[in-house]
Amino acid sequence: MTTGKPRPPVRPSWFDTKLPRARGDITWIYLWGAPLRFSHWLSAVTLLILFVTGLFISFPMWVTAGEASSHFLMGRFRFIHYTAAAFLVFGGIIRVYWMFAGNQFERWPALWPFTRTNLRHALTMLKSYATLNADIQPHFVGHNPLAQGAYTTIYVLTTIMIFTGFAMYGQSNPGGFFYTMFGWVPSLLGGLQHVRLLHHSIAWFYPIFFCIHIYLAIRSDYLERAGVVSSMLTGGRFVASHEKFEDCDLGDQPAVPWHTGEHPVWVKEP
Amino acid sequence: MFLRNAEPWMDGSTLGEHLEESGVSRRSFLEFCTEMAVILGLGSAAAPSVAKALEAQKRPTVIWLEMQECTGCVESVLRTEAPTIGDLVLDVVSLDYSETLMAAAGHAVEKAKADSMAKNKGGYVLIVTGSVPTKEDGIYCMVAGRTIREHLEEAAEGAAAIIALGACAHWGSVQAARPNPTGAVGVRDIIKNKPIINIAGCPPIGDVVTASVVHFLTFGRLPSTDREGRPLFAYGNRIHDDCPRRAHYDAGQYVENFDDDAARRGWCLYQMGCKGPATYSPCPIVQWNNRTSWPIGAGHPCIGCTEPYFWDTMTPFYRRLPEVGGFGVEERVDTIGASLAIGAAAGVLTHAGMTVLHQIRRRKSMKQVPEHEHPATEESHNG
Ligand code: SF4
Ligand code: SF4
Repeated sequence: MTTGKPRPPVRPSWFDTKLPRARGDITWIYLWGAPLRFSHWLSAVTLLILFVTGLFISFPMWVTAGEASSHFLMGRFRFIHYTAAAFLVFGGIIRVYWMFAGNQFERWPALWPFTRTNLRHALTMLKSYATLNADIQPHFVGHNPLAQGAYTTIYVLTTIMIFTGFAMYGQSNPGGFFYTMFGWVPSLLGGLQHVRLLHHSIAWFYPIFFCIHIYLAIRSDYLERAGVVSSMLTGGRFVASHEKFEDCDLGDQPAVPWHTGEHPVWVKEP
Repeated sequence: MFLRNAEPWMDGSTLGEHLEESGVSRRSFLEFCTEMAVILGLGSAAAPSVAKALEAQKRPTVIWLEMQECTGCVESVLRTEAPTIGDLVLDVVSLDYSETLMAAAGHAVEKAKADSMAKNKGGYVLIVTGSVPTKEDGIYCMVAGRTIREHLEEAAEGAAAIIALGACAHWGSVQAARPNPTGAVGVRDIIKNKPIINIAGCPPIGDVVTASVVHFLTFGRLPSTDREGRPLFAYGNRIHDDCPRRAHYDAGQYVENFDDDAARRGWCLYQMGCKGPATYSPCPIVQWNNRTSWPIGAGHPCIGCTEPYFWDTMTPFYRRLPEVGGFGVEERVDTIGASLAIGAAAGVLTHAGMTVLHQIRRRKSMKQVPEHEHPATEESHNG
């Protein structure tokens, strides 16, 4: 195709699905381990279910008619809510395990990127979002500090949700396991109603987070084409070997063309 | 004291002898014991043992201190089920001092109290209703020229056990609600070195008080309690789990207005702000005023009066959740949360639109180059 027909640089057209030509220096790197991806999607699904069923439990907008014995609407919603919560906790346990067994981007120190430099990077990210100027964005192999800050916040909030949730769940069986184990929660917050209020208020952060998270992930794929959306499915993303990153020096790694199927794994043991 | 014709219970004689003198039949005494055994969770089979232990009781002494309160609790206790025997038990426990109930007044009665406390030091039961004001050195409640706090500390000193009766004595109740102008606190915040039992509620059910006293007389110690110091036999179950409307809750059938059809059908009061799911109380089982009724039975949502700080945490009484202070107005969490979520969605959409426009403009301004001159992957990203 050397017709000399002028085309825009780098990206041929808007909806062209062809990948940019790999001249041996675009590499697919494996970042996110299977346990992390599993707990990510498990949380995504369960949190969605939890939010919807939780809304119903707090405000039952549908009322059934006829005899009480022929319905179990609230009962079903509560059952789904508790079951989803159990799966969420299951995913959470896997995530906690992976905080100790995963690579440097998955370990617990990565959840806490709040150094002075990283705060500056986070501010730059904010500025880039505000001014629509992606050129100033710092490059990260893992999450940028702003994103990581948001994820860490969600981890903390979800932990509070789990504790307050179990505290309320335990009330149906006074003296039972959950009642005893989480009895300190209502005492700490000054009563069950405050537990309820906190659980209910935090729930609203999830739709907000969902919107922004999904949008920014898709946006970054659209602008950078590094495959971050699919990285949560396949585990890896694309990098140009000459690209410089703030959180990891890929310089000494040999560039392997992405289509060779050899996926270098960037795990640097701390 | 409650029964005008009751014979006075003489020091040294047992309860059994005293009841006989007062003309109480063996049968009604046993009925009373059965009732108490059931309320205490011992089962009716334990009634003979309760009766035996009670009968052999020597006259114990009770000092009843009334502090910053509305006397609603006394009113409630006066309405115990099986009033003759119930009142008699409270009567037999010999109220040596009770401001509402005693006929005497003035220095004489203060002296009687001091004498009784000195004589029975370490052995009497102290019943307390009302809260202790702590601000301005406690001048908001004074009796006989001294603050009620002094009275309480003095009386607690020689008490074998303290029964904190009602929400006021438990944690302060309505006086302790924000902003708590008198600095009202409960007995447990003042007295730390005595066994205290909190008979929670504003007011509590009279039978629970009687049963707690019977427990003390029968076993010589206070019944076991939960984290809040409330007797487990009464406060071990959640209203929501014993509620006769629970089937409607699970089925999804709710009263949405006090005068709607659902209200007439006796559906669940969850939507009317019922605090039954957060409240531990024997109301559905023991009920009120000789089992006449109880709030939810009468169609009113539970306001959670047996839970500490309920004036602050259970309000508004007709809403499910406490209010959240908004921008000068009281806003509900849902309004705030939904607005933020919609705001986020709108913001994201706007931002997305602007990003796309920006990209189009950018692309348009780019220099067009022939393909063989493509810089390939040199520019791995462009904003
Ligand atoms: S607890 Fe309630 S009923 Fe009892 S004295 Fe206090 S305010 Fe009155
Ligand atoms: S009326 Fe109140 S306590 Fe009874 S089932 Fe409904 S919410 Fe629970």
